[in-house]
Amino acid sequence: MQESFAIVENLRYTHWNQETPTLRGVSFSIARGELCILVGPGGSGKSTLASVFNGEIPHLLGGVMEGRVLVDGRDSAESLPKELSQVVGHLFQDPESMFATLCVEDEIAFGPENLLHAPAAIRVEVDRLLGEIGLEAFRERLVWNLSGGQIQKLGLAAVLSLSPRMVVLDEPTANLDPRSTRSVHELILGLRERGVTILLVTREIDDFLLARADRLLALDEGLIVADGTVQEVLRGKGRELKELGIWLPETVEIGLGLGADFAQGHLPVTALDTMAALRVRGLLPALLAGHESPAPGLEQEVLVEAKALGFEYPNGFRALRGVDFTVRKAEMLAIVGRNGAGKSTLAKLLVGLLKPREGELRLFGRRAREWSVERLATKIGLVFQNPEHQFLTDTVREEIAYSLLARDLDDKAEVERLVGDCLERFGLADCADRHPFSLPAGMKRRLGVATMLVCEPELLIVDEPTYGQDKDMTHRLMSTMESIRERGVGIVMITHDMRLVQEYATRVMVMSEGRVTYDGDPARLFASAGLLEEANLRPTLLQEMLADYEAGGGRVTGTINRSEDFLEALSAGARMKGRNPA
Amino acid sequence: MSSGPSLILLDRDSYLGRVYPLVKLAWVFLVAVSLFLFRSPLSGATMFVGLFALAMLGGKVKLSRIATSGRFILLLGLLLMLFHLFSDPGVVAYSLGPFRLTDTGLRQGPVFFFRLSVVVLASFILIWTTDTRDLMVSLAKAGMPYRFAYAVFLALRFLPLIQQEVDAVRDAHRIRGRAARTSLSHRARLWGRYVFTVLINGLRKAETTSVSLETRAFGAFPIRSYMKEPLFRRRDLALVLVTALLAAALLVLERR
Repeated sequence: MQESFAIVENLRYTHWNQETPTLRGVSFSIARGELCILVGPGGSGKSTLASVFNGEIPHLLGGVMEGRVLVDGRDSAESLPKELSQVVGHLFQDPESMFATLCVEDEIAFGPENLLHAPAAIRVEVDRLLGEIGLEAFRERLVWNLSGGQIQKLGLAAVLSLSPRMVVLDEPTANLDPRSTRSVHELILGLRERGVTILLVTREIDDFLLARADRLLALDEGLIVADGTVQEVLRGKGRELKELGIWLPETVEIGLGLGADFAQGHLPVTALDTMAALRVRGLLPALLAGHESPAPGLEQEVLVEAKALGFEYPNGFRALRGVDFTVRKAEMLAIVGRNGAGKSTLAKLLVGLLKPREGELRLFGRRAREWSVERLATKIGLVFQNPEHQFLTDTVREEIAYSLLARDLDDKAEVERLVGDCLERFGLADCADRHPFSLPAGMKRRLGVATMLVCEPELLIVDEPTYGQDKDMTHRLMSTMESIRERGVGIVMITHDMRLVQEYATRVMVMSEGRVTYDGDPARLFASAGLLEEANLRPTLLQEMLADYEAGGGRVTGTINRSEDFLEALSAGARMKGRNPA
Repeated sequence: MSSGPSLILLDRDSYLGRVYPLVKLAWVFLVAVSLFLFRSPLSGATMFVGLFALAMLGGKVKLSRIATSGRFILLLGLLLMLFHLFSDPGVVAYSLGPFRLTDTGLRQGPVFFFRLSVVVLASFILIWTTDTRDLMVSLAKAGMPYRFAYAVFLALRFLPLIQQEVDAVRDAHRIRGRAARTSLSHRARLWGRYVFTVLINGLRKAETTSVSLETRAFGAFPIRSYMKEPLFRRRDLALVLVTALLAAALLVLERR
């Protein structure tokens, strides 16, 4: 049996500003050199648990802690965080706000400087880490000029510069494009190779890492609800994890959907393993028939039209170059692309926060320059990535009502009715009288969307609609958006989530370095490896499986864009086979 | 990525970018002291023009950047000037209805305008041309305990973050729209919310940074090492000397 590096014994913890404990008797251990993934829905206590290993809890965050946490034989309650800095490194959820300096190399040097390392030795270490994270060319760059992926990598390098024997990574790939996510995961695996003990906290389980991880832990409402090897947990508790709203890879969802027989001994995780298992068990028919997808509504009225649209910021950063596109009524357009590709600039132009300087942008038939932000706000809603920025009142109820009042709806009874309806629809009724800032992250996001949807705008723009949301809530949110889309509202979602694009987008626009490199059907995008590569994207696991299926001679008809569709197509194929065994 | 914050180090590769940080800090104090000694608006105006030229030629700061960052201060300076123009006691020089301009007001208004705008412009030049880490290191090397020096550094480090936060909240609030019959008290409440959001998020960021410092061994020893240190050259003192000479000349001229 492997030696335990970190041991958590019956840990209970209550934050200083809360009455009920966030962790309610957690016990587990992590072996030395193990890669352990901790999953759980929003508000389950994951980030709190991530803060106990290096002594942040109880030394820096206060609160009441009971039980014991041992790391490398040291009791975290008896050692100060600075004393544990070479034992445990903690990469925070938002690495940008943990940065202590202005430029990349200084940030990496910060830790060793505190430990009084010699300048020459620090220089060597900084060079080594810059090489490891691939940021040598950016060593003098200011930290706020880095992309999301680069920020995560720099945060990791800053933590690693102290040579900790264990690292705790809190959602290190949230909001990253798929290829940046993969490269961060490769870095994590490299650490494991070097014998570093790793605890990775996430709400979305990635197939690449899952297939290589040693352990899987699940936390719900402050309690460990699953603990074992990846296979033990997926096979034994996979359905419960799904019910908790944890995003499982589509391959695992399909494996679980096929029942215990399929998962005998080993539940495949990667697309190729899943397809191989389906072939071995003779579960793949010659034809997978998906459902009919509606044709894109080209006859629908155009809401937004851009021709040769360009934009350059005052500092010379060229965010958009010759962009042509339209947004029509009743379509759900997904805008995807690597961090810094120009997506957010485009959204700001659409809502009038930026004015076009090159090319033409027409909104609802009028030139963009003729619209004020306030006038446009009656027609376009934008849900920001950080919903707190949008909050204006003291309760959830008032927040929704404000949107209606700002549109000059002054019938009190009608406002109350609409607010009540909205609270119910978004699962916010129980917290209607709470302060918006006091809500958990997922609920804040929902409230942000609710404040925009309640006014039924003609066009809704959502920046990362499901960031921080559980799977169930994501589907509820997306279903709501789907229903307003069917009523004629145009929806633009800016996202890195390829599953969301696959499942909900009627059209996808790929942006790369300020240009539109693809505008069309999502399925065709997923089939083009070159386009995906150029925009730092990856196909979904389902698309990888379908590509493998077709490469093996299978035929796909209609649309298969959810694991449920795939399972249905398999069982329909099996029924056909039964009727016509030949 | 976007336009980014405007109060940050812009270009290391400029004359001012190479001047030793403590010399620049001393220069800002010198400019501030001079401005408070000046009695003539002409002296303030000369310094204003001089600093503008220095920022653009010696610091490679674009005019648009100065205009963007300085417009609020210019506005504040103008308000301050108007206040003095109409409220300072003295002999009435002009009158317009209930408003009376006094001879003292006509002299003091521009003096106060230049005091505020030149001192702020000098501080901005320091920020635009100085890596705040270098400033922190030079303060520590000059004998200040590094924890205090770091506090100065962090305060400057947070300026652009707060500015980003202000921009983001302002944008988000504009998108929420506003009822046509918004009362003054309601507007005041919205302003309160604006400040509240910026403050809360600023404090959260500050808390995260402070936790991060502790977990990265900050304060583990009474001293710390530095991978790189800014270089002091005697010729850097020219900035202070030339400014001191100019200020002295202006003082002599205005008192003749």
